[in-house]
Amino acid sequence: MPTLQTEVLVVGGGSTGAGVARDAAMRGFATALVERGDLATGTTGRFHGLLHSGGRYAVKDPVAARECVVENAILRRIAADCIEDTGGLFVSTPWDDPGFGDDFLRGCLETGVPVEEVPVAEALRQEPRLEPGITRAFAVPDASLDPWKLVSACTRSAAEHGARILPYHRVVGLELHDNRVVGARVNDERNGEELEIRADIVVNAAGAWAGQIASLGGCVVTVRPGKGIMIAMNHRLVNTVVNRCKPPSDGDIIVPIRTVSVIGTTDIQVADPDELEVTPAEIEEMFDEGEKLVPGFRKARALRVWAGARPLYTLDDVADPRAVSRTHTVLDHAKRDGVEGFITIAGGKTTTFRLMAEHALDTVCEKLRVDRPCTTHEQPLPDSEDERFYWLGARVQAQEPVPGSEEIICECELITRRHLTEAIARRRPTGLDDVRRRVRLGMGPCQGGFCIYRATGILHAFEHLDHQAANASLVDFLQERWKGVQPILYGDQLRQARLDDWIFQGLLAVGHLPE
Amino acid sequence: MNEAHGRLVPASYDAVVIGAGLAGLTAALRLAEEGQRVAVLAKGVGATHLAPATIDVLGYDDGPVDSPARTLPEFADANPQHPYRRLSIDLIRASLDWFKACLSDHGYRGGLDQNLLVPTAVGVAKPTALVPETMAAADLRQGGRFIFVGFRGLKDFFPAYLADNLARTPLPGGAAVTTRVVELSPPLGVARDVSATGFARRFEQADFRESVLAELGRHLMPGEIVGFPAVLGLEGARKVWQELETRLGHSVFEVATLPPSVPGIRLYETMTGALRRRGARLVVGTTVAGAEGSGNRLEGVVAHTAGRPLTYRANSFVLATGGFASGGLQLDSSGEVREPVFDLPVAGLPGPEEPRFERGYFDEHAISRAGVAVDASSRPIDGEGTPVYENLHAVGATLSGAVPWREASGNGLSLASGYAAASAILEAS
Repeated sequence: MPTLQTEVLVVGGGSTGAGVARDAAMRGFATALVERGDLATGTTGRFHGLLHSGGRYAVKDPVAARECVVENAILRRIAADCIEDTGGLFVSTPWDDPGFGDDFLRGCLETGVPVEEVPVAEALRQEPRLEPGITRAFAVPDASLDPWKLVSACTRSAAEHGARILPYHRVVGLELHDNRVVGARVNDERNGEELEIRADIVVNAAGAWAGQIASLGGCVVTVRPGKGIMIAMNHRLVNTVVNRCKPPSDGDIIVPIRTVSVIGTTDIQVADPDELEVTPAEIEEMFDEGEKLVPGFRKARALRVWAGARPLYTLDDVADPRAVSRTHTVLDHAKRDGVEGFITIAGGKTTTFRLMAEHALDTVCEKLRVDRPCTTHEQPLPDSEDERFYWLGARVQAQEPVPGSEEIICECELITRRHLTEAIARRRPTGLDDVRRRVRLGMGPCQGGFCIYRATGILHAFEHLDHQAANASLVDFLQERWKGVQPILYGDQLRQARLDDWIFQGLLAVGHLPE
Repeated sequence: MNEAHGRLVPASYDAVVIGAGLAGLTAALRLAEEGQRVAVLAKGVGATHLAPATIDVLGYDDGPVDSPARTLPEFADANPQHPYRRLSIDLIRASLDWFKACLSDHGYRGGLDQNLLVPTAVGVAKPTALVPETMAAADLRQGGRFIFVGFRGLKDFFPAYLADNLARTPLPGGAAVTTRVVELSPPLGVARDVSATGFARRFEQADFRESVLAELGRHLMPGEIVGFPAVLGLEGARKVWQELETRLGHSVFEVATLPPSVPGIRLYETMTGALRRRGARLVVGTTVAGAEGSGNRLEGVVAHTAGRPLTYRANSFVLATGGFASGGLQLDSSGEVREPVFDLPVAGLPGPEEPRFERGYFDEHAISRAGVAVDASSRPIDGEGTPVYENLHAVGATLSGAVPWREASGNGLSLASGYAAASAILEAS
């Protein structure tokens, strides 16, 4: 079996693992990261895209709120290209207790969340589609955060500092020697080959899957995955993050991100983070709650629905997952379970991923008896060096000098042929779905109706794929899109889906592709 | 008549057709040919602009269909709710003959007895009953050596991918196909992103054709059959195609590709031109959203225009608004399916506990067969089988019981049902 030697092995390629790999590599450790699928395909790629100001936690979870305040400010400096500075509003709708506004204001002041009450008229001027009956509005520095860009930038930075990033490598076992984890056996999911990675320390950053990884080392970590569903609507119903000003509950946030807006979310404890069923009742609830923030929400076009699993971690048995703090804990399995060379970073959320990584690496340094300070808060991520925020018009602006001078492969998301081939060249993807996350291919209103055929043709030519690989990529992409579309298919989105059926099944007859 | 609006009020018609896809145009043109005064009211252009202009009568049953004429009786028996159950082979055959005659300058080839096999843009050999002459040389049943032509700047056609699949497609009778590809870089000026219609307009220009002929001529080997994307001109397509065949000395054909469909636009232009010549009125850009009638007789339909509602009166009416894709059927967020013009009863719905959609994209979804059920005279019926209006007929993708994009039956159903509705109207008058 081929062997790879490293100092720090990170398990998990979400924002936490990517942050840990970057921090470890920047502190000078030989680092490797393994992820069972593509990067950012677990919880990170399935969240609503909200960079928290801390306001959401100001009343009920002050520790998490304070962390968000600090990390929000840091990420605005180091990850500007991943952030759209939308700002956020907390609004009291007619369905919310108006008294909560005072609790909210107090909580923000106590935890340091920058907050300003704005006149209702001003809030409605800023967001004209908001429920006109709102009674109070508070501005906070919420923003939207592109999770794929974030993880990609972190892993690129880690790689620039010497880290090995290994997506599609699943951990199948941890090597234990005298109660010490000395490495892991991983399976390359693309070709089935096994690889042994020997490491001085293994950092379990598998989030909602951390319990499964811990058990491979004989340790018990009780993660209580909290399922949350999100629905992407086909355009920006709001341009500011809009939150209900009330204790956190279901369907109380709408996040404008890239070309869409996302409503979330629910919180239901589930046993297995890989089994996240979206129920019709949850969908109905999102629509009902959406109506309270933006009247007519139900009549807007719902693009797709998906669920993510929060990596909630608590020692106590709790009935309400929302009562669990959203902060994080570093578990040293030597102290806890008598297993050396193995730590787990549990809990947390994407907004504080950098802090989680810093804490994890502080523990790593302590265990390896070295003193190397964290610098991840000082050095900007790749493409964020100029500290300019992403803005919605960026792709249009790039086209403006000479309109029509480049082929637009995905009209919904304005992806050019050059943009697409660069992403293919950089990623060497296994299929179109990997490319999708890099460039948002097929994520707009038509959900790939026009671009999938084109992108398949380009991928086929560019990567010299054989017909089977190209066909598999095409069919898998259609199936993947369908999965998120079919539970909310009605109205104009059904029209769109039916047009796509006519294209793929009628015009192209992809159901009859050769073996 | 609406006196308040004086001379702006349209005259009354023999027949009003709602929808300008193939089904609506077929019904309208047949009625106009027989001397009826016809108005076609349409929200926009129909599915002609999305679909290839082939007439697929029945392409797939369990597998590819060799002969629709032979398979249809069995198919209709196995699918008792299918519109083909009511449309006899003779009627379908008559509709194809009528269509070929009416589109004579498109030179449609084929028939009901034997499907042709033509390559799709991903290289599937797809069965279809009729193809325009510009696609006929694609017929794969005899095999052959094919070369597919791509154009730099046309993002809707990937000949290498097509050729790779087609070369591996098993053909009936063991016909052998070889494929190869050439990519041309014709002069496009400053433009880098040219649509299919943009290429079609360029092909109508002699100097553009010259540059294509010059570049392509160098690449061809004797006996090769040359496949282009379906962009060989609009009004002048026949001339363009003939010139390419003559000058190259090779058989030339078109492969349908992503919408907008250039062959579909030609079909639409020919049929609407014929309608206008026969004095029919064609109003595109108006939404019909209401009916006036007494008892079970429809007197008029109310069309929303930019200014105000207008009532179009007629003796008979044809609903040809299409299925979900065209807005002829609508599903709301609570799961209710509606036919929005007349609020007709919708048949073929999944039960209350049954999921509307399956999880597998390629599975058959319960809602796919939803639509308007009709009687032997093509009239929408209620649950008891009684016509909702004695003078309203429904055609095309609005009908329940079919899954046309899976069966490859879309244009065949539109043509035959449009033809049948016109026959019923003519008989009744």
